[in-house]
Amino acid sequence: MRLDLLDHHSRLDSPIHRLPAAVKLVAAVGLVVATVLLPASRPAGFALVAAAVAVAAVLSRIPPAFFGKRLLLLEPLALGVAVLAIFQPGGWRVFATVMVRTNLCLLTMILLSNTTPFADVLRVLQRVRVPPLLVTTLALMYRYLFVLADEVGRMGRARASRTFSPQRGVAWRSLAGIVSQLFIRSTERAERIYAAMCARGWQ
Amino acid sequence: MTPALELRNLCFRYPDGTEALRAVSFAVGEGDCVGLIGPNGAGKSTLMLHLNGILPERLDGEPTVFVGGRPLTAANLTAIRRDVGLLFQDPDDQLFCPTVFEDVAFGPQQFGLGGDALAARVGDALARAGIRGYEKRQPHHLSHGQKRRVCLAGVLACEPRVLVLDEPTSDLDPRGKRELKAVLRQIPATKLIATHDLELVVELCPRVIVMDEGRVVADGPTLSLLSDEALMLAHGLEKPHSLQHHHPH
Amino acid sequence: MHIPDGFLDAKTVVATGALATGGLGFALRQVGARLPRRRVPLMGLAAAFVFAAQMLNFPVAGGTSGHLVGGVLTAVLLGPSAAVVVLSAVLIVQCFLFADGGVLALGANIFNMAIVNSVAGYGIYRAVRRLFGGLRGLVLASAFAAWCATVLAAVCCTGQLASSGTVAWVVAFPAMANVHMLIGLGEALITALVIAGVARARPELVEEGAPPRVGERYVEFAGFGVLVALGLALLVAPHASSLPDGLEKVAAALGFEHKAAQPLVAAPFGDYHLPGVKSAVWATAWAGAIGTVVVFALAWLLARSLVPKSRDDAAPPRR
Repeated sequence: MRLDLLDHHSRLDSPIHRLPAAVKLVAAVGLVVATVLLPASRPAGFALVAAAVAVAAVLSRIPPAFFGKRLLLLEPLALGVAVLAIFQPGGWRVFATVMVRTNLCLLTMILLSNTTPFADVLRVLQRVRVPPLLVTTLALMYRYLFVLADEVGRMGRARASRTFSPQRGVAWRSLAGIVSQLFIRSTERAERIYAAMCARGWQ
Repeated sequence: MTPALELRNLCFRYPDGTEALRAVSFAVGEGDCVGLIGPNGAGKSTLMLHLNGILPERLDGEPTVFVGGRPLTAANLTAIRRDVGLLFQDPDDQLFCPTVFEDVAFGPQQFGLGGDALAARVGDALARAGIRGYEKRQPHHLSHGQKRRVCLAGVLACEPRVLVLDEPTSDLDPRGKRELKAVLRQIPATKLIATHDLELVVELCPRVIVMDEGRVVADGPTLSLLSDEALMLAHGLEKPHSLQHHHPH
Repeated sequence: MHIPDGFLDAKTVVATGALATGGLGFALRQVGARLPRRRVPLMGLAAAFVFAAQMLNFPVAGGTSGHLVGGVLTAVLLGPSAAVVVLSAVLIVQCFLFADGGVLALGANIFNMAIVNSVAGYGIYRAVRRLFGGLRGLVLASAFAAWCATVLAAVCCTGQLASSGTVAWVVAFPAMANVHMLIGLGEALITALVIAGVARARPELVEEGAPPRVGERYVEFAGFGVLVALGLALLVAPHASSLPDGLEKVAAALGFEHKAAQPLVAAPFGDYHLPGVKSAVWATAWAGAIGTVVVFALAWLLARSLVPKSRDDAAPPRR
């Protein structure tokens, strides 16, 4: 997973970007539900969903190559499971249906995440009364993803620059070292964030 | 006149037994700008956390911190947190919201501001920190200097009477430092600046307090203290370059 | 193990959605009632931590690589309810930001990876910990629990795919279970190494949490226990035995069966062209049973090699 591909285009300006986040959320989930519920015997339905997604994608002004790149990145996960479907009676038909459905849903979600800043999604969640503890957790998580990913990168480079024998045991230990160090640093950072929240009157 | 900030015999020991502050006392007058210097581990950051009651965890002893004459007690905690704005060293710790607007609005919201008044307050604070129009930006897309100024805006939005800054210029490039100094000069609040950046102290603070091992070891006019080479070296500091010509050759 | 959209049918989506909502809601209540205010930011940071840790791949046999799920790791470090919240947050962000795991499959993914993985894993961890104290016990228990939890979550995932009629149980179970018995080894090793690392550097962080009063822990165990059992009974048991399909029954009773999409495979237990698929299920079950014993032994060896006898006494006390 590459962080630079994350909601990369969510700050573009287009008719789709300007829609309220709640509308886009409902529309995207609606499209996904339709795709999943459509019987396999109705290819016209899938074509309709595909057309809707395509129109929205063009309107969003996101470069088509970007969709391709994201889709390629996610495809192995879907293929890994879908391949199992081949080994059963009528397997190819199942495989094809599942792949069509999955890719349509993936495209919908890629479109949603790249036209809707996550902060807006959080605000919608807040409005529909998702428990505050969960919203706070999501908000802090989103904010510190990038900080922690940077930290992992720095620790990894620091280790690599002093690792001279690429043995498997060493690799495991250094991976574990990075993860435990990351956890300790995260707890320390959480303490400092708590202090910063209190300093601005958090109650 | 009552000092804007006063410490009387402030002591603190961490739970692991480390003695961080030993009988620290000083007062800062209204509108003054005071530098706080000393080697790493002198207790500067611990001291700052005491100024709006983040430390100690239980506020049940004799009050030792006074803001505008008002003692820092459990009952006064909210009011004092409003009066004292704290700028932390690592802007990533202080910028905890997903967008700049939400982050700058966090403080005023806690004090009950909302709607248009809130938006106006945020816009004004951003302008004063020199980053007008940054409301919709996301923290992870900002440079270090921009993050630091968003943090400053977040503190200014609470309209504090006393501004306490921990290493405000660390990790900034020369331009970032210059811009931040210009912003700080414009802020009329009483300021206490803990820093290793002695040039910053020379430029902004007429008075300086030197701490070492949890104690105040010197307190006086910046130029004479920072020119005292023996004092500086004894406490892990050195005389700033800009003062070299004050030295009698 | 992230199930994408399109793999689950309506009844499975509804059932797993209800289980996940119930489990997450219960976990949020447990955490909300007990978490000290100063640890609220830690929930978000822990979620970011799990997310970042999941980005690190480790090599599995044959050129493939796996990544940490981190359920047991989080549960041991923060407690089971907090782990459910943290892992759910990770899955929600992965779903909405990366399209990694489907929206309608979010319930299933939360049930498998946030609830079963951390809660069942934590239960196994505590059981082993009761018998083996010290730092060695910590390493042994967390490694063994991480392996079991990974396999269990994969089995749940298989049950959901089979209930949806996407992949037949007899095909999916051997494949998924065997692969995850391998991946689980990586999860076990990393979990144990990380927990040992944290326990050495900052022993107070392991299971620090707020130690709950005795009664509360039983409420937590009972609540999650019922939920996991219900999920297994509905989604896994019908395939693993000759029991009638519980989920079909519930769907019929609630009257939305006719709304569910046509199952893609009409007769999941129909005649198979592949020889020996039925025996593959039994072989896998046996491999699982033997694997459990072998992994326990391996975890014990790991604990012995990782923790010298002299260091063992310096471990956090067993509770």
